Amino acid sequence: MESLDPRLNRVNLEDKSLLKPKVALDQFETYETFVQTNENKPYQHEGVVHAPNEDMAFLFAKEQFSRRGTCSGISVCKTENVIVSPTTENGKNIYDEYEPHGSELHEYEKYEVFHLFRRGKQHQHIGQVEASSYDEAFNKSKAIYNNDKTVLNVWLVKTENILFVDENYRDIWHTLSEKQFREATAYRALDKIKKFKEENS
Amino acid sequence: MNEKALKDLLFKIADDQLIIGHRNSEWNGLGPILEEDIAFCSMAQDKIGQSLQFYMLLEELGEKDPDTIAFTRNANLFHNCQFVELPIGDYEFSLMRHFLFDHAEYIRFNMLSHSSYVPLSELAHKIKGEIKYHIMHANTWIQQLGNSTNEAVKRLQKALNSTFPYALGIFEESRFEGDLISEGIFEGEQKLRNKWLNDIDSVLGKTKLILPDLAAESAHLGGRYGEHTKHLQPLLNEMSEVFSIDPTAEW
Repeated sequence: MESLDPRLNRVNLEDKSLLKPKVALDQFETYETFVQTNENKPYQHEGVVHAPNEDMAFLFAKEQFSRRGTCSGISVCKTENVIVSPTTENGKNIYDEYEPHGSELHEYEKYEVFHLFRRGKQHQHIGQVEASSYDEAFNKSKAIYNNDKTVLNVWLVKTENILFVDENYRDIWHTLSEKQFREATAYRALDKIKKFKEENS
Repeated sequence: MNEKALKDLLFKIADDQLIIGHRNSEWNGLGPILEEDIAFCSMAQDKIGQSLQFYMLLEELGEKDPDTIAFTRNANLFHNCQFVELPIGDYEFSLMRHFLFDHAEYIRFNMLSHSSYVPLSELAHKIKGEIKYHIMHANTWIQQLGNSTNEAVKRLQKALNSTFPYALGIFEESRFEGDLISEGIFEGEQKLRNKWLNDIDSVLGKTKLILPDLAAESAHLGGRYGEHTKHLQPLLNEMSEVFSIDPTAEW
């Protein structure tokens, strides 16, 4: 069938009317994206991209999460490398509620700590600790970063598992500031629909 | 400053950005995976945004407003190279064009960021960050696919072979090439081309792809002065469809 969108007719989409085997899911693994909107702000979790590897994940994350606003940095890590604490409710602090079980010790490494302060908000980067296990990292961040603010949930990521972009690429964040052509705000559809209805009722 | 030479340069860049931006935006909704669809179309938007900035420089030099320039000329008045007007083809074709074209752009904007024409050097300085991501995107894809399965390598090599002579057309010299160089506005297509060959060769060297033999290729020239393939006019018709029906239309 001819589409009204001329592009669709040009790409020879497959004929959907034929019987054929169900196609297996072909899904890439997921990567978590952390975004810094400007240099004075902490990184925070923005969402997930599907990608075959870290480099590709960065490519996708960059446009997915920074194309409309200002951005001074993005880092990505494989979803399975984000270690998640239990989550509390009713204003209870996870650092008071959860006692790590004491896992096997390894060599000392750096861990990045992220806190969730409100349900529905994003996890924010709080700081870094050195530890020999995730449990120890949890305890250390409790000692250092647990203050009067209620923390509902903690994420721990080994620093070596995060892809940070090379310093040489800092200038990819310097873009044209005139981005109005990207904004949906100029398309005031509702006003026009109302006007149309009034004129035609 | 030789204004004719300057306008000639600005027109070809503006038209290149507009046409490649429009072409690449045709992938909107059709990209191979959602994330790539968003990335590729977002870069296409960057390019259209850049073309607007160049048309604004031209307006300051006495040309008509950007919408009029973009939407009311026929193909024979466009200065883009033929490369950018070719249909999007399969994804490997678009990806390879993106790789070859954007590497040239990146060098061009780096050169122009030292231009003696200050509004141009300032604009080029702002744009080159955007293009730097574009080539990072292109390089990563080319290296990813150019080292993967036989099918991927074969398809990319075919795309490289078919796009290469058109890519050489990017570097068609201006009628004012000597003036542009002597007045320090732009270092010239020849220099740009040599650096481009070097850059793409170093990326392709990390893959199983082979750069076609330069001596055996002849560039598709003519685009800079209105000689275009049969693909440009239909693109312009489609792009300006709404504008042609109602130039005052608002979204």
